[in-house]
Amino acid sequence: MKTLFHYIICPALILTALSCHKVAVQITTELTPNVFPQNTAQFIQATGPVYAALRGNFALDYWFIQSLSSDEAILPARGGNWYDPGNGYNQIHLHTWTKDNGWTNSVWASLSRVIGTANQSLSILATTIPDSVATKKANLAEITVTRDLAYYMLMDVYGNIPIDTTFGDYTPHANLPRAQVFSFIENDVKKALPYLSTSAGTLYYGRSNKYTAYALLAKMYLNAEYYTGTARYDDCVAACDSIINAGGGSLYALEPKSTYLQMFYPTNGPAMKEFIFAIPYDPTATLYPGTNGFMYRARYDLNRNLGMKYRYSGSTPGTNVDPIVNQTTGGGLVNSQPSGPESTLASFFGYFNDPNDVRNGQWLSGLQYNADGTPLMVKTTKGGSQGYDATYTGADAGSTYIYQLNITPDVYYRTDPKSGANPAIFDLGNDEISWNMGVRNIKFYPDYTNASNRNQNNDVPVFRYSDILLMKAEGILRGATPTGGATALSLVNQLRAQRTTSAAWTNITLDSVYNERCRELTWETWHRNDMIRFGKYEGAWGFKTDADPNHRIFPIPSSALGLNPALKQNPGYN
Amino acid sequence: MQSHRHVKARLSTGLLQTKTIAAARTRTASMSCSRSKIFLAMRMTAILLTAACLQLSAGTYSQKVSLSVKSQSLETVFRHIKSQTGYLFWYKLDMLKIANKVTINVVDQDLPKVLDEIFRDQPLTYETVDKTIVVKLKEPPAPNLDPGSPPPVTVSGKITDEKGNPLLGVSIQVRGAKGGVQTNAEGFFTLSGVREDAVLEFSYVGYETQHLPVRGNTTINIVLKALSQNLGDMVVVGYGRASRKNLSSAINTVKPEDLNRGAITDVGQLLQGKVPGLNISASGDPNKPAAVVLRGASTINSPGGPFYVIDGVPGADISTIAPDDIASIDVLKDAAATAIYGNRAANGVIMVTTKRGRKGQTLVSYNGYVGDERVSSSVKVMDAPQLRAFLTKNSQNFSAASDKGANTDWQKQIERSSAISTNHNLSFSGGGEHSTYSASINYAKKQGIIDNSDLTRVIGRLSIDQYALNDKVKFSLNVINSNSNANDIPYLGVILLEAAKYLPVSPVKNADGTYYENLTTPNYYNPVAMLNNSQMNNKYNNLLGSFNTQVRLPFGLTYDLNLSYQNYSTLHGEYYDAYYTSKYNNMYNNPDPGPTGHGLQTFGPNGQAVRSSYQNRAKVLETFFTWDRHFGDHSINAVLGYSWQDNINNDGFQLTSFNFPVDNLAYNNFALSAPYASATYPHVSFGPDGLYQETKLISDFFRLNYNYKDKYLLQGSLRRDGSSVFGANHYWGYFPSASAAWRISQEKFMNAQHIFTDLKLRGSYGVVGNSFGFNAYTAQVFSGSLGTYYYNGNQVSAYGPTQAANPNLKWEQTATADIGLDFAILNGKITGAFDVYNKKTTGMIFPYKVDPILVPSGTIIANGGGVSNKGIELSLTATPIRKVDFSWTTTLNLAHNTNKITSLNNPLFSSVDSIPEADPEAAGQSGTFLQVLKAGKPLGQFFTLQYGGKNSSGVTQFIDHTGKPTTTPVAGTDYVYAGNAQPSLQFGWNNSLRYHRFDLNVFVRGLLGNKIFNATRADLFRPSTASTTNILVDAGNESIADANVYRYSTRFIESGSYLRLDNATLGYNFKSIDPYVKSIRIYASVNNAFVITGYKGIDPEINQGGVAPGVDYNNFYPKTRTILLGLSVSF
Repeated sequence: MKTLFHYIICPALILTALSCHKVAVQITTELTPNVFPQNTAQFIQATGPVYAALRGNFALDYWFIQSLSSDEAILPARGGNWYDPGNGYNQIHLHTWTKDNGWTNSVWASLSRVIGTANQSLSILATTIPDSVATKKANLAEITVTRDLAYYMLMDVYGNIPIDTTFGDYTPHANLPRAQVFSFIENDVKKALPYLSTSAGTLYYGRSNKYTAYALLAKMYLNAEYYTGTARYDDCVAACDSIINAGGGSLYALEPKSTYLQMFYPTNGPAMKEFIFAIPYDPTATLYPGTNGFMYRARYDLNRNLGMKYRYSGSTPGTNVDPIVNQTTGGGLVNSQPSGPESTLASFFGYFNDPNDVRNGQWLSGLQYNADGTPLMVKTTKGGSQGYDATYTGADAGSTYIYQLNITPDVYYRTDPKSGANPAIFDLGNDEISWNMGVRNIKFYPDYTNASNRNQNNDVPVFRYSDILLMKAEGILRGATPTGGATALSLVNQLRAQRTTSAAWTNITLDSVYNERCRELTWETWHRNDMIRFGKYEGAWGFKTDADPNHRIFPIPSSALGLNPALKQNPGYN
Repeated sequence: MQSHRHVKARLSTGLLQTKTIAAARTRTASMSCSRSKIFLAMRMTAILLTAACLQLSAGTYSQKVSLSVKSQSLETVFRHIKSQTGYLFWYKLDMLKIANKVTINVVDQDLPKVLDEIFRDQPLTYETVDKTIVVKLKEPPAPNLDPGSPPPVTVSGKITDEKGNPLLGVSIQVRGAKGGVQTNAEGFFTLSGVREDAVLEFSYVGYETQHLPVRGNTTINIVLKALSQNLGDMVVVGYGRASRKNLSSAINTVKPEDLNRGAITDVGQLLQGKVPGLNISASGDPNKPAAVVLRGASTINSPGGPFYVIDGVPGADISTIAPDDIASIDVLKDAAATAIYGNRAANGVIMVTTKRGRKGQTLVSYNGYVGDERVSSSVKVMDAPQLRAFLTKNSQNFSAASDKGANTDWQKQIERSSAISTNHNLSFSGGGEHSTYSASINYAKKQGIIDNSDLTRVIGRLSIDQYALNDKVKFSLNVINSNSNANDIPYLGVILLEAAKYLPVSPVKNADGTYYENLTTPNYYNPVAMLNNSQMNNKYNNLLGSFNTQVRLPFGLTYDLNLSYQNYSTLHGEYYDAYYTSKYNNMYNNPDPGPTGHGLQTFGPNGQAVRSSYQNRAKVLETFFTWDRHFGDHSINAVLGYSWQDNINNDGFQLTSFNFPVDNLAYNNFALSAPYASATYPHVSFGPDGLYQETKLISDFFRLNYNYKDKYLLQGSLRRDGSSVFGANHYWGYFPSASAAWRISQEKFMNAQHIFTDLKLRGSYGVVGNSFGFNAYTAQVFSGSLGTYYYNGNQVSAYGPTQAANPNLKWEQTATADIGLDFAILNGKITGAFDVYNKKTTGMIFPYKVDPILVPSGTIIANGGGVSNKGIELSLTATPIRKVDFSWTTTLNLAHNTNKITSLNNPLFSSVDSIPEADPEAAGQSGTFLQVLKAGKPLGQFFTLQYGGKNSSGVTQFIDHTGKPTTTPVAGTDYVYAGNAQPSLQFGWNNSLRYHRFDLNVFVRGLLGNKIFNATRADLFRPSTASTTNILVDAGNESIADANVYRYSTRFIESGSYLRLDNATLGYNFKSIDPYVKSIRIYASVNNAFVITGYKGIDPEINQGGVAPGVDYNNFYPKTRTILLGLSVSF
């Protein structure tokens, strides 16, 4: 017994124990590649992250970079409010941005995240979807084209960017010249084209189908001369034609005058026949981690006294019985006030010179009225820095002053120092006169359906059918061979017929196409792109006088330079 | 019990002489040389007799004797000694007839020396058997043999344990010679051919090895002492024990009597100030565990506390243990000591040993106390008249809604005037022939000083050792179950903040009895209403069970197999009633300082409840061989083992629902909730993803100790550690260590000097790892929810990879070099240890930023960067006074550490210049960081504006980067490095005094040279908001027009040096009132008696742990003082 114990059992015990050296743990509680994705529905769910990531910063950061840098929008400070040295709304307007500018940094990071997410999804799906699955190539192509859209947006803003396509490759890649980036995107899209869906409608709404790819190509070809030095207008027209002829010419169509404005309402969605690719926003959506992911234009665009009228964020009179908007308390709903610092410039508002144009309805200008037609009155004090007019110094400056809200188109610094205007910090002053400067845009109409917060349900189009028609017209005007019996004039008139009751045009120039694009695509993130293509980006507007052509692209942001030592700064920046 | 004669030779060469070791030394090895059978019988009688009376005499008697007699009888002298020391004398009356009269004059002399003196001129000699002195006849002097070649003799004898049981298999060999014999089942041995001048070595696993010169004796009977019963000398190291004198690594031992006293339920606080190099900071909040940092933070990756090993169970939860059940705590500090725990040892290892039974000793003890805790320090905000006067002075008014003419002290309103804590611990232990046991039950109830909070904890513990197979096999079963029920306070951070800033002119309740609220002021809530309209309860159960088998094999081999299981389960409930969810919806929380910022809290309507239940389980198998052999002057101890551990954490679920018909049912009936009836918030939630984690740890380890003549000591160890938390390419790592020590006092040349009774120089180097501070699945890729996206008409979940795989993720590595000196001087009156160390961490694990085009989340957990810690530690114990009825022992611990981040770079992903830390998110200052992590700077480096006084119009200005004053400084550009949070010196000073039957212990501790960023003060330094929120009394002289006054700057950086009288305890030991009552002691104790500091906040003891130490923000929890009365009885 003793011997047995000493010499056999013990060593046996030890050896048994020593033999186990398997330390790896099988994860049983997470979606490892072993368990996800496994079936067709899950393959589709695995394409979701790239869309959630794209939604992340499109309606805010990307919009700021594209619109505030153009003459369509301005976001000045008022009494120190909205003066944000880190994000530098003033820099974006004045074209004095640096690599440290907050929006410059966040747009780069967020678009990079879309690309990284796409690469990650592609790598996982490439191995987890069996080759025998018929939809495999379609799943991969859909993600690829969405990635290419992000690449395009990144290239449009920053010009020379690095190309990373392989997830798990941590090598720092240098940024390539824009022409090379252009051909990479073009080839990548073309490779994916054959596998993309030709369907539209609810099932493909918010997802990249074949016509998203063509619209992207059309945008690239239209700008090819600027991007690469080589004109590709015929290719642009061909890409537009692929969309125009989609579904036998009936897949997409223009919205009529009666529903043009509704196209951007909180209730918009897959029924919009003009939307080729839209980013669906939803107040109840869950965010892609690290992104903003919501759309809330009214927070920026609505004059702060208009919250109640537009039921901003569920504003109701509540216990407030005073029908007059109390400026200082927002009618007892301080937290539900829109900030409303953002407006257009009078010069841009000038493009809306046709009183018969339904597109005028997106602007708020002049005296304001309640829904029942009564004047919208505001209660404040006559003078004082937060009263109606800070320059007023009469003895009754502190007394109550009630006036009808009047939105004035000019955005300017008043000369009286008592106004509080301070050009050094892009500040118009803190009185009602200052706050009422600038025509407001409510194209993405305040969401009266969401009573609990400022998130809006309005989907935001990226590619719209009217844009395709205008692009084709412009392509022809710039030298492409007309196709399908259409001319530049006929194409633009085709659009205008659905926008205004004024007579059709009889002649067309590049400039008139530009003006039409201004009216048609306001607030849709394309205006900077248009201004550059039409050579107007170095002009002077608002407070901006900068004319440096280097500023057509933004600097590679400092955070990116810190994370990728292979990146080289764009010309003209340090 | 043992029977040893005192050997003088050992005295002169001496050992490390701490107070306890000196005491233990009187029991140190030697043996009887008697030959007569009568004497043997007498000795056995003595043993039995002593067994009977041992406990009677066991107490706190001194072993120092002061005696002045002239020509007195031996019997009289014995009486004197007995009264002073408690030692009993055993003698035959007729022996005394031949005794000579005694004349002696000694003061405060060691008992053995006194006895030697007394017996020098007597025909008698003596032998100490535990606490009994056995008097016997002197043997005739040994014949004067030819020194050249004494004939070899045959030596035989019997080896027993302390109980007198024969020991089988004890090896006996001649030192320096080969071969040897073992005892038989009766404990007898015979060894022939032994030279008369030979030294015999008696070794037995689990017992202290003894060396004995033969000196011509042919019968040698010896009692071996079990190691476990001698903790004063023995140190618990990983996978074994070692004798302190032969350690070559840096280990501090804290015995239960040295642990901090008070109503303490947290082990960290028990050790505060007791171990040099162990920086422990406790918050005022008793439910927050103290932050423990050993020898400076070795990483910025959520620097964690040490690794705990309880009774050999690695990674055990320390809160399982009742303080009264602790037998010893060993703090393993250098890498030579910790490397045996491989990749979990970078922050040090703390070994906790609980009490065990002893054979033949039945002991029943009761310890209990009742404590009374009161607020000693809180935030000094203005009262109503002060605030009203301030506003009047500045031509301002309260709003009519706020000003109800009250004078409410909101802090008092949420506090108890007195929080009572009680603790009862009943333990019993004992043992028979082949088994021992120890069991205890502990009941603790502690009220929090904030209303509605309390903790009730019941701990049951049982440990049994059973010997089998002729006592060659020992089975041990240990079971501890700790069950807690805690009532906590939801959003305590908000409540404390509101209590500090709520206007004193508002009442707690309106005239109609409803709570007063003024919700038009944003983020402004009645703290008493918050407290009383919400509840939170946590029930924890912590089970720790282990089953150990130890088998003694031939050739000095021992085999251990330890199996353990831990199960920690929590049941959590929260309820916010309808009042709460309607009034406080969309409030911001106010979390403890840390990585998570303030977040908007939304509640569903009509009451919201949260319930969660989670379980953590750990299974450990450890098995190892120990080989302990002596070859003459050479001793070898080798350990070779294997360890397997599987941890599962957070196995459970969470549920949040709302819309309850009534509030009375709280979180107890989710079935009645109707979340989907809500239009605005129609969903239940299930808590965060990714909580469940399984970790596997597998290791092989080896350690070799070599000892030459107890003079030269060498140790080497190697652990091969595998952990599933690392990347696939780096599961396995090797953690080596080596150390050496030279006991200089053992050298011959030291015999001449009389200063050092012990002197040991030691040095060590080793590498350990850190595998904590990140998710178990960090290195692997998997998918999770990445928001929702529009699909076919609905928002559906988008699933995709949520983290990047990093197959190269490995442990962070900390290499430590340590040089130490242990000494005992002036005959043990002063003992101490001195250590110098250099600790370097490389490959630090950190969430490095990555270009999101590579990793969309923007971060990846990877290795890079490093931290260095260099320091000096000194511990000194002295006994300046040791008189018959008065003694004073004092211990001083000093530690200095210099911490520096050496790099923040990761070679693969990015070079990080600096990482901002500590953003208090104060209004108007969000995004303002107070600290920076930067290479070349220490952890806790303050980085802020330089205060530049006031300008002519009374506005606070700052010094900009060009050196000019400015009122509009630029964050970052104008920041300066402004000191750091780490102390240059930490100290603990303990004093034990005894006067007759009274004992007094006074413990003082503190820090010197550290800075604190008093952001709490800055945040309440807002004169311009005084009409809506309260301000500090100190802000009363600030201008209301100064909009810069509260801005974080060097103005709010203060010295954090302090000295605290942490504890004073006065006890009284009653005389034996009954032979069956062994001891009765009552005591009174005060905690936090006073603190001396220039710091203006509540208390200068600000968190020293984590990645942003030394920042006082949200520090509103009041500091308290506890007075405690206790009773200890043993039977």
